[in-house]
Amino acid sequence: MDKQISPKNNSDVCIRCATCMAVCPVSRVTPKFPGPKQAGPGTERFRRPGEPSVDEWIDLCIGCHLCDMVCSSGVNISELNLIAKAKYLDQKGRPFRDWLLTHSYLYGRIGSLFSPFANFLLRNSMVRWMVGAILRIDRRRELPGYESSTFRQWFRKHQFRGNHQGTFHSREKVEVDNPPSPPFRKGGMGGFEPHSKDRKKIAYFYGCYTNTNEVDVGKATVQVLEANGFEVALPAQRCCGIPMLGNGDFKGAKKMALYNVPSLLNTIRSGSDILFSSTSCGHMIKHEYSHLLSIPNAEEVAEHIFDIFEFLRNLIESNGLNAHFKELSIKAAYFAPCHLRALGIGLPVLEILRLIPGLKIDNIEADCCGMGGAFGFKKEKYEISQEIGRDLAEAIDRLKPEIILSDCEGCRMQIRHLTGLKVMHPIQILRDALL
Amino acid sequence: MKIKTEVLIIGGGATGVGISRDLALRGIPSVLIEKKDFASGASGRNHGLFHSGGRYAVSDPEAARECIAENRILRKIAPHCIEETDGLFVSLPEDGLNFRDKFLRACEEVEIQTTLLTRDETLELEPELNPNLLSAVKVPDGAIDPFALVLENAKDAEEHGAKILLHTEITSLILDGDKVKGAKVKDFLQGEEYLIEAPYIVNATGAWANQFLKRVGLHIGMALSKGSMLITNQRLNHSVINRCRPPSDGDIVVPNHTVSILGTTSIRLEEVEKFEVTPHEVSLLIQETSKMIPAIQEARFIRAYAGIRPLFQSEEKGNDRAISRGFVLIDHGKRDGIQNLITITGGKLMTHRLMAEKTSDLICEKMGRDVPCSTHLKPLPGSNRPTSLKERLEQFSTDQGETLCDCELIPRKEIEEVLGGEKLKDLQDILHRTRLAKGTCQGGFCVYRLFGVLHDLRMAEGDSNKILKGFLEERWKGIRPILWGIALKEEELIESIYKGIFNLTPTHPSPLEGEGEGGGAR
Amino acid sequence: MHYDLIVIGMGLSGLMAAKTAAEAGQKVLIVGKGMGSLSLFSNSIDVIGLPPLMEPKTIKMEPHKQAPDVDTKVRWGKHPVPEGQFTHGQVSGPLGTGMKDGLSQWIKDHPEHPYAKVGLIKIEEALSSFLSLFPPPYSFQAIDNMNCLLPTGAGTLRPTYLIPTTMVGGISFDEEHTLIVGFKGFKDFYAHYVADQLKCRGITLSLPDVPNQEITATALARLMEKKSFRENIGREIKKQLQGETRVGFSALLGMHNPFQVKEDLEEIVGAKVFEIPILPPSIPGMRIFNRFKEWLIQKGVTFLLGYSVSKATLKGKRCERIEVFHPPVTTSYSADRYILATGRFMGGGLKADMEKVFEPIFNLPLSQPPSREGWFRNSFFSDLPHPIHQVGILIDSSFRPVDEREEPILENVRVAGSILAHHHYIDEKSREGIEIATGYMAAKRASGS
Repeated sequence: MDKQISPKNNSDVCIRCATCMAVCPVSRVTPKFPGPKQAGPGTERFRRPGEPSVDEWIDLCIGCHLCDMVCSSGVNISELNLIAKAKYLDQKGRPFRDWLLTHSYLYGRIGSLFSPFANFLLRNSMVRWMVGAILRIDRRRELPGYESSTFRQWFRKHQFRGNHQGTFHSREKVEVDNPPSPPFRKGGMGGFEPHSKDRKKIAYFYGCYTNTNEVDVGKATVQVLEANGFEVALPAQRCCGIPMLGNGDFKGAKKMALYNVPSLLNTIRSGSDILFSSTSCGHMIKHEYSHLLSIPNAEEVAEHIFDIFEFLRNLIESNGLNAHFKELSIKAAYFAPCHLRALGIGLPVLEILRLIPGLKIDNIEADCCGMGGAFGFKKEKYEISQEIGRDLAEAIDRLKPEIILSDCEGCRMQIRHLTGLKVMHPIQILRDALL
Repeated sequence: MKIKTEVLIIGGGATGVGISRDLALRGIPSVLIEKKDFASGASGRNHGLFHSGGRYAVSDPEAARECIAENRILRKIAPHCIEETDGLFVSLPEDGLNFRDKFLRACEEVEIQTTLLTRDETLELEPELNPNLLSAVKVPDGAIDPFALVLENAKDAEEHGAKILLHTEITSLILDGDKVKGAKVKDFLQGEEYLIEAPYIVNATGAWANQFLKRVGLHIGMALSKGSMLITNQRLNHSVINRCRPPSDGDIVVPNHTVSILGTTSIRLEEVEKFEVTPHEVSLLIQETSKMIPAIQEARFIRAYAGIRPLFQSEEKGNDRAISRGFVLIDHGKRDGIQNLITITGGKLMTHRLMAEKTSDLICEKMGRDVPCSTHLKPLPGSNRPTSLKERLEQFSTDQGETLCDCELIPRKEIEEVLGGEKLKDLQDILHRTRLAKGTCQGGFCVYRLFGVLHDLRMAEGDSNKILKGFLEERWKGIRPILWGIALKEEELIESIYKGIFNLTPTHPSPLEGEGEGGGAR
Repeated sequence: MHYDLIVIGMGLSGLMAAKTAAEAGQKVLIVGKGMGSLSLFSNSIDVIGLPPLMEPKTIKMEPHKQAPDVDTKVRWGKHPVPEGQFTHGQVSGPLGTGMKDGLSQWIKDHPEHPYAKVGLIKIEEALSSFLSLFPPPYSFQAIDNMNCLLPTGAGTLRPTYLIPTTMVGGISFDEEHTLIVGFKGFKDFYAHYVADQLKCRGITLSLPDVPNQEITATALARLMEKKSFRENIGREIKKQLQGETRVGFSALLGMHNPFQVKEDLEEIVGAKVFEIPILPPSIPGMRIFNRFKEWLIQKGVTFLLGYSVSKATLKGKRCERIEVFHPPVTTSYSADRYILATGRFMGGGLKADMEKVFEPIFNLPLSQPPSREGWFRNSFFSDLPHPIHQVGILIDSSFRPVDEREEPILENVRVAGSILAHHHYIDEKSREGIEIATGYMAAKRASGS
């Protein structure tokens, strides 16, 4: 691994207080993982650059960042673990399964194209058994199905449609009096001309999962933005690279980043900020591209990329949020993904959704869902993933919600798998309340 | 109880134990008495530097020659005590290159193998060095574990018939005309008293030489020179880094397991018992060594310690460094009329085997026996504990048992082995034989756990909390000099645990006796 | 983003300040890294542990009785306490006469102490406010309104005041009738060590699921929450009881429902069960932190755990905004008022280089010994505290930081918690009390009352 990839080693500041041990979800459920106190700064003192890695247990770190959040000394434990993991896996070699799990963007479009067949295969128990035996992807894990039409395809049609008849509830086009920002009339349910020159432009990084497996999340994001007077564009983008990074594949992640950054930079420099709906993609681009992957100009991108709900919360401050919500009598519970917590923006979903009349929304008191991206698919890690998830399932059970909301696709997959309940991205509920 | 032997050795440092082994291999039985644990003097408080001799090449070629010869021998007989790191003599801009050239010539003279490296080659090897360096000379330095070395010598000696009594102190010497017939001693561990009779007595007490000689009304010229060292939390360098200039303070940084040790100073002391690392020495060491390794300026330290060098003075010399590090073998028969007493003093860890050889040769000569030395040929027994960082990390990965010391990754199994081995007097004895408590928190968590294990094994004696407090107090001596920055944060944690959660107090009233003043509160 | 109040620091004082302000209807941001000392030491609530506040050993303790109207089936923490249920007026103050008198005397004798800045009445209010977060069944109580001695993981006894339900069984330690239980594989608690020191009996249980392996505190606490696990160990302990009526465990009787764990075990074992504080991490402390977190988020407080304030921008004597640097982005937050509750060295509230101690965010002045030599005494244990522990921020009656002439340095910034000067919580056994009282008071002052 390049020297320049490894950040300055800050494990010197660890005072061995074991606060990190209090929050680590993996060491809470399995003795195979020694826990962040030893795994990170503890064993770091033993690692030497020229010597081979012997850290067989290091890939049990799920990358939840909880240890980082509570370390008052500022040790970047998950980063130390990730770098050690990268070295270990580079040396040991990554199985084909890992490549498959982390390069889903390559075959996602094919999956979509042949979605009925692909979905049949993914659900077929024989196939899953084989996949389990050969590739060691645990057969108990449901593999996400593909939608027949991608988000990009929908968006192209959506742009082409112009007036979006049928997408909005029918209402009259209301002339805009003042050239405002954003241009809707207070007090009325305004219909919008999505592509008028008075609209502010905004770009959307949708992420591969939204594109091929959960298109409605993307749709809802676009619809909410348009309802707030924005014109949405999709910059050229590829997988953000977090599946590779999670697997210690710095090279693979860097490849994605080197494609995305110039494209996003272009968008930014032409006057448009960027939003994301997947907190994992967002955290990757905003925080990992720069100091972990050292991508040039990543800092500039970081200044102009926001979580959709963070963005909407900012609109409140400038009185720009369309808060004309209809009543939704639903008992919902929100689960904050690890990457959202790692973004350090608080819980803007709660702040926004609490404005919807009738919606009862509780925050689920649990830390990590246990999915860890590709982690939860792997046979050797499935049990751990489920044990961690069990604590979340119990927390959900205490609340007995009708529907669960979470901004991370991994969390949504896991929660569906654990509870069988309806799980949505909060932007979908917000769209339902607006339109 | 009476013990009759052929040689009574006083002093359980590297020299004394080396003599015990040498004699044993020659078939000569001996009894060694040591008032504390092995290596309690300079042998346990040095820099851990496995010299190539380069440091003495210019100023003291004889010492250098001895050094490199012993370097080669020790590599053969004690490989598991040594980490072969190589060493670099680094020339900084202010040092110029004159000394370096002198150095190269001098090394060649005494047959110390050198390789001259360019600036780039040097930085390639050791990227944390000062980028302004001019060049460096590679030499066969290394890092040595002194306690392991002494322990191995002792093991071998005992296997060949020697007897070693630790925690045993002389209560009185038995004189008979111009001879020392023997000594009355008390074993503070077992409580036994012995009368040891031997025709030959060896004073290998290092810095305590005169303390012993006083008993027979003798005195030798000795200078006590304190050397202080600082230990960093992380290993900053991989080879030994020396400054290529005439020896001075803060010249050396030795890598040792997970840490680096900065040294050293040279301060005359009057007495051998009380000494500490002063703030001035701390600043000096950081200032000087950071010229070679800039990261030291911001480094975190975990401990400071000092040791005393016993330097033999045959004449008054102002600068301690100029006194030869060469050792001195004194036959008190020739010098003072006490026929069967020998003092071996001076020297350094590197030449302990040679010192033992010469001492044993002299004893054999006096005995009229002609048995050659074989310590340079026979390897030390070795141990099955993992020594390198990689091995220790591997052990941690594969062994899923409890890890008692989180900082140094010491498994409970290792501690149980130590406890099950030889009889140990106290906590310090246990700590000498393991790397427990040598890491970042210096025993903050693991010594508590160690007590837990002692109680589990029903081996705890006395009031554990009193002993724990004693440990914390002893630990404090090494911590206080480096308390700033992150080390200070660490101390707040330790205080909060022991004085806070566990409520250990100066007066420490037993919880079940009366409340005393304020009960457990103060 | 603009707030009414920004609290810097996630320890007990910061959390109390945020709670107090949120209750007053303020828009609050709390930002900090870590959980303060909660994850490390907070097992029970100390107020002041010095004489003459010790409960005499001869008092015979009755098992704690639940008030008859408490719904024990309510899982602790499930329903946040409705407003008004535990307001100051309704709860008969947690400070009984004994403690009240003791504190009054203390305040009189130490007019510079943080308690003196708060005053007895407000200390009581603050403690009530804290207690209101913990309605039965997992609640904190004072026993006979005096300090009690609780056993510790080193087999010593330690005075403390407000004791959680799960530790009450350890008061008035009775060596003849107490059994200490440890677990093989759990290295932060040793039953024989504790038992030998306390002169009672100890046993170590093996964990069938974890043979020869190490188990962490959180893993053990989690196992405790499984009914089958409790049944197994409960039965085993019952078998090994030799007439003991109390059983002491290390403090990890579950994270989410410790009361249930305790009750269950008591039923199966047939003896009183209690927890004993151990090495960090502190599970009881985490319960406190989680409860605050749950409550604050529910109340709409912006809860930024994981970030430290890198800079404060001042204009004259006012703080205009603070910055949080989360590489590579710097985010600014502004508020009308701020509370600095960043703790001492461990939390990063105070820092020390080789020469001096300083406060890194606002650069507030600190009166300190002239050199590093004067920071610590020559012995680790000594009758007087190390001088460095007395170093801290000076405040006026409004909790604003002041200089040596007692002039306020900042108008809209207040200071709370252990970073204050003139106390030594370790010796005084006053850590949690100071944090709760000053956090509460600083917020009260900040909202103008």
